[in-house]
Amino acid sequence: MIRLVRGEFLKLRTTQVWFWLLVGTIALSALLMVGGIAPSDGVRSADKVPDLLGSYVTAPGYIFVFVLGVLAVTTEYRYETITPTVLQTPSRWSIISAKLIAYSIVAVLFALVAILVELAVAVPWLSSKNVSVDLGNGEVQHALLGVFGVVVLFGIIGLGVGALLRNQIVAVVVGIVFLLVVQNIILIIPGVRNAWPYTPNGGLQAIMHTTGSTQVVDNVHLVATGAGVLVLLLWAVIPAIAGAAVTMNRDIT
Amino acid sequence: MTAPPQTAHAAAPVSGRIVVEGLTKDFGANIRAVDQLSFTVEPGSVTGFLGPNGAGKTTTLRMVLGLVSPTSGHSTVGGQPYKQLANPSRTVGAALEASSFHPARTARNHLRILCTVAGIPDNRADEVLDLVGLYDAARRKVRGYSMGMRQRLGLAQALLGDPAVLILDEPANGLDPEGIRWLRGLLRHLAGEGRTVLISSHQLNEVQEVADRVVILNKGRLVRQGSLEELTAGTDRVVVRSPGAEQLQSALVGQQAQVQRREEQLLEVRGLSAAQVGHVAFTEGIELHELHDERSGLEDLFFQLTSGVQT
Repeated sequence: MIRLVRGEFLKLRTTQVWFWLLVGTIALSALLMVGGIAPSDGVRSADKVPDLLGSYVTAPGYIFVFVLGVLAVTTEYRYETITPTVLQTPSRWSIISAKLIAYSIVAVLFALVAILVELAVAVPWLSSKNVSVDLGNGEVQHALLGVFGVVVLFGIIGLGVGALLRNQIVAVVVGIVFLLVVQNIILIIPGVRNAWPYTPNGGLQAIMHTTGSTQVVDNVHLVATGAGVLVLLLWAVIPAIAGAAVTMNRDIT
Repeated sequence: MTAPPQTAHAAAPVSGRIVVEGLTKDFGANIRAVDQLSFTVEPGSVTGFLGPNGAGKTTTLRMVLGLVSPTSGHSTVGGQPYKQLANPSRTVGAALEASSFHPARTARNHLRILCTVAGIPDNRADEVLDLVGLYDAARRKVRGYSMGMRQRLGLAQALLGDPAVLILDEPANGLDPEGIRWLRGLLRHLAGEGRTVLISSHQLNEVQEVADRVVILNKGRLVRQGSLEELTAGTDRVVVRSPGAEQLQSALVGQQAQVQRREEQLLEVRGLSAAQVGHVAFTEGIELHELHDERSGLEDLFFQLTSGVQT
């Protein structure tokens, strides 16, 4: 398995897509800090800092790792490198497990980069405005841990979606449209909206939520933080299992 | 590239027989791509897997390699189903279509990934790239490769694990004449080391020069299998031109020869040698203008077999 995971890292390193997605991550987290601090009505007090730091995932910056995860499997189908991959490793479970391990580690790195860029921009700038960023503060820690967890989980969700759908364009488009459009539509349809807390965005909001009401709209409430983690975990694992068990076992012609 | 082919590992690999038994593959309800196909491929020989386009060759090879699940039947490599091999790329090297590469990745990196997963040192990638004549292009992205270069890279990939069994789908496609000659030499050399070499082709002449045995497939079914000598035996004929063709024909038929009249003065004779035909003409006092052997070879046989007419 270690050899398979190392092979996955090498696959990622020997193409350029990770670099551009990392550039996107860095650019977005820096821009969000600029947008949150620079305007005259921007962050001027310590109580706004957790939301500012959490803005990376609500923005939604998780899209970069999500796409990276989708590409993990779909690129292999698009360029037919799935043929040598499966010839070397006939077990789809082994292939998907190696990718899960490798892309979890990569998603951790992306999450750390996003957080470090946020802090590198926000901390000195806010201190010049006499707002201190207290890393010992519970809500600040919650926001940073939330960003970390959400980014990592969305990387794995992307991997699962890619394994399930296999077609690169379909998986990227369906994934992004679902995350950015369909989920919001779910929230406005009465009845259907009751499922919203269990969508990826519902789980994300539950993880990031700290104080105040958990009501999103009428009678729709966020689940608890831990349950939010579970929601995202299920979204991550179920497509990956379905992919390894069903779609990736289809004939490779 | 013109240097005699050499492999890095001198030791001959262990036996790797390919056995295909009753393989059948249906695509959808109405299309039977491969139908009850059985054949074996022996180590130490080059076996040509022949058939026109669409005969089911690629589907068969993909079933043997575990990429396509058969509807029924099974196959083994070295006694085991492909999917159960412990480290497949060290037992079986396969090159299928020449497009299974990420265009933005270099050839060397493509092979390094396979080395990493198989637990082979990276310098083996350089060795096989050198072997197939791609050493100078190794650090270029595959996007800029010609069809012939991709074929060579596919071959390098197949050879990476120093496997006992090589399965190559249309390996000569896209190679120039010099490349084809080089490929023949390499395949003969690999078979000479005791490896099992199975190559598919829809072009007979690609296989004729290099294969010891052929398996001929048409419309998903086995048409013939055997050594080239076995399959071409009895296909030789004598062509004779004479103004007395009609008289000669009846004389030859009297000698148990099969005679066909091709033209007014031209006969095609089977069952007698040129010398025997000449002798008959001499004793009958028939004037001859032309007398020679004609070896129809595998070309006609292949054409006849795949068009459903048996000789």
